[in-house]
Amino acid sequence: MFRSLKKVVLASIIGAAITTPLTAVAAEKFGFGKTATAEEIAGWDIDIRPDGLGLPPGEGSVSEGEALYEQLCATCHGLFGEGEGRWPVLAGGKGTLTEERPTKTVGSYWPYASTLFDYIRRAMPFTAPRSLTDEQVYHITAYVLYLNEIVDDEFVLTHENLAQIEMPNKDGFFVDPRPDAQNTRCMKDCADPKTMKIEGTLKGITPVGHFIEGADAPAASHEGQEELEREKEKARKASLGMEGDDTHSSDTKPAVLSAKAQAGKETFDNACKACHGTGIAGSPKLGDHEAWAPRIKQDLSVLIDHAVKGFSGSSGIMPPKGGRVDLSDEQVAEAVVYMVELVK
Amino acid sequence: MSKNTKVPSTRELMAQLAKESEGLSITDRRDFLRKGILAAGGVAGTVFASKAAASSNLPPMEPTWGKMLGHGVVEYPYGQPSKYESHVVRRTVPWLTAESISSISMSPLHDLKGIITPNGLVFERYHAGVPQIDPEEHRLMIHGLVERPIIFTMEDLMRFPSVSEIKFIECPANGGMEWKGAQMEALQFTHGMLSCCEWTGVPLRVLLDEVGIKPEGKWILAEGADGAHMSRSIPLEKALDDTLVVYAQNGEMLRPEQGYPLRLLNPGWEGNTSIKWLRRLEVGDKPWYHREETSKYTDLMPDGRARKFSFVQETNSVITNPCPENPIKNSGLIEIEGLAWSGRGRIKQVDISFDGGVSWVPANLKGLVLSKSLTRFSLVTKWNGQPWLLQSRAIDETGYVQPTLKQLREARGGNSIYHKNSIHTWKVANNGEVTNVQIS
Repeated sequence: MFRSLKKVVLASIIGAAITTPLTAVAAEKFGFGKTATAEEIAGWDIDIRPDGLGLPPGEGSVSEGEALYEQLCATCHGLFGEGEGRWPVLAGGKGTLTEERPTKTVGSYWPYASTLFDYIRRAMPFTAPRSLTDEQVYHITAYVLYLNEIVDDEFVLTHENLAQIEMPNKDGFFVDPRPDAQNTRCMKDCADPKTMKIEGTLKGITPVGHFIEGADAPAASHEGQEELEREKEKARKASLGMEGDDTHSSDTKPAVLSAKAQAGKETFDNACKACHGTGIAGSPKLGDHEAWAPRIKQDLSVLIDHAVKGFSGSSGIMPPKGGRVDLSDEQVAEAVVYMVELVK
Repeated sequence: MSKNTKVPSTRELMAQLAKESEGLSITDRRDFLRKGILAAGGVAGTVFASKAAASSNLPPMEPTWGKMLGHGVVEYPYGQPSKYESHVVRRTVPWLTAESISSISMSPLHDLKGIITPNGLVFERYHAGVPQIDPEEHRLMIHGLVERPIIFTMEDLMRFPSVSEIKFIECPANGGMEWKGAQMEALQFTHGMLSCCEWTGVPLRVLLDEVGIKPEGKWILAEGADGAHMSRSIPLEKALDDTLVVYAQNGEMLRPEQGYPLRLLNPGWEGNTSIKWLRRLEVGDKPWYHREETSKYTDLMPDGRARKFSFVQETNSVITNPCPENPIKNSGLIEIEGLAWSGRGRIKQVDISFDGGVSWVPANLKGLVLSKSLTRFSLVTKWNGQPWLLQSRAIDETGYVQPTLKQLREARGGNSIYHKNSIHTWKVANNGEVTNVQIS
């Protein structure tokens, strides 16, 4: 009996080795990597689900959310969630989903409140993602829900009631049923040329840079305004000594900076560039003489004061320290000096 | 570029040789002057354009670069394209997004050959700028409904047997600007959110085997390590099918803008699901419904309801020559060329129409025809100044025929933003100029 068992075992091993020599290796684990501890997982596990799974303990009120929202979110999303420039509109848009130009907001489009909490905690504020405490995320989430008339101004959002919140468009989604558009491989007389309507492009909205300067290619949609903008941007970049597409044509030298301005460059790159690099919310762009001139007429201390404490005027909005409350007053002042010296 | 990598002796030799070649070009210049005077007296009104006649580098003159030395090796330790190709770059449409840190650039498909997109030209899309990640400190954590949650270093991941596959990546918003009407006067902007590379990495199913998925596990959340912490829910079937965890692209490590040091790749699916700077995969029993799969990447239908989890990039194609950037310059034989692709598999056939879709002729497929990859097609024909309404129509191995714009709008209206894969039309004028039009 012993013998026969041994035979069977042996035969099966040989059989496996002959027929599938790799399965023995493939079935075995590689054993690479280290087992993650509960603490390590907790540090990285930030996701929230519609059923509330993943929510950290805590709560937040609409009223405290209002103050935080105005300080950290309004610059891009507008005071009432109406959006600034091309930044996302957060509120309104009710009943627009069937219109020619729908407004997709948290209230009009998003199916779950958990998405709002998850996204704010995951990626907001834009210039300082993952900088909010869980408590702050609860406050701001509550306020954005209030802006969308989903909760009232007395509402306190908690890890226990978030999953119960019913969003207006919760039933507005269904699983993709494609393929949906049916075409057949017709080779002859597939369309009636008499009913064919040919529509061209809207002129003047295509960036023009893809056409080689001076080449024989027909230059479509060249608009004088775009050309001017391009020249202006080129001059701005050249004055900053920035590497650009065609900055080599300029002989303008970058400004010589004071020690304070040099110290401010790093703060600028890390904290201010997101807005002042591109002119968000009416902010004067780095090196844009035209935009800075009227501001420089004020005393430097006024500019620094506005940057530290925040500013709201017809020209634009600046949240206190640009939303980067972790910066010292001195760091903000240095960054202001850097921006000012570059246009002096 | 790093001059300091040269050893002094080489530099001395180079200087000496350069001097000698300088001497050569002086004689050459004298020679040119003499010949030039002769030519001026004799030949006039040749077929060459004035631009050509003015160059001393054209026949019968020998070009200057053939009579002197160029730079040596490691002058450019990491090479660059010729300076005469500096126009071949990614471009963006500034008004598309609020600013460039969360924006998209497009590949110059009109200038590319074959099916591989060079790494410096692969379209970019990110939501919090490009992070600079130290690979030594990067980690991939896989946890959730698994037997053993694991943290991998890059070194761990590169110990696994690797695979290399050629796959396209396409942003589902590719062509989205054209849903309501023809807008962009350039191929780069109508179809350039599309690239194709050879990707190297580990099949995700190998890593999932390693952690051991519990029977309740049905979905996976993939998450990036950038400031946006981009996240998407992916069904387990896809993860076990052909999803890759990728660290290299076209033979070199990923570029930072493509997710260095690690990204996910879901072949044939919405580019947005191929999470870059991949740091975490969590196995769960349900999808997460995060911002990118509710607020974005859902397709709004005319009745106000929206499709969710519309993952597949369906069969699509476009003609790259001629196109607005590549007008027809000469009468006679012309190779109509273009690209076709399908998120469901191989391209089986591409047809071309010269009359806006009334009649069609089959094109040839060139080179490699791979699953979920770009496929190049071609048709040699004659152009003698006749106007064309040029279209291409691709069919994949599932039998799916690329729809007309009319069919697509009938099925989905005009507010979908994503997944516009309809037949595209270029209008060729009798002077060879090509413009973007729509036929309805």
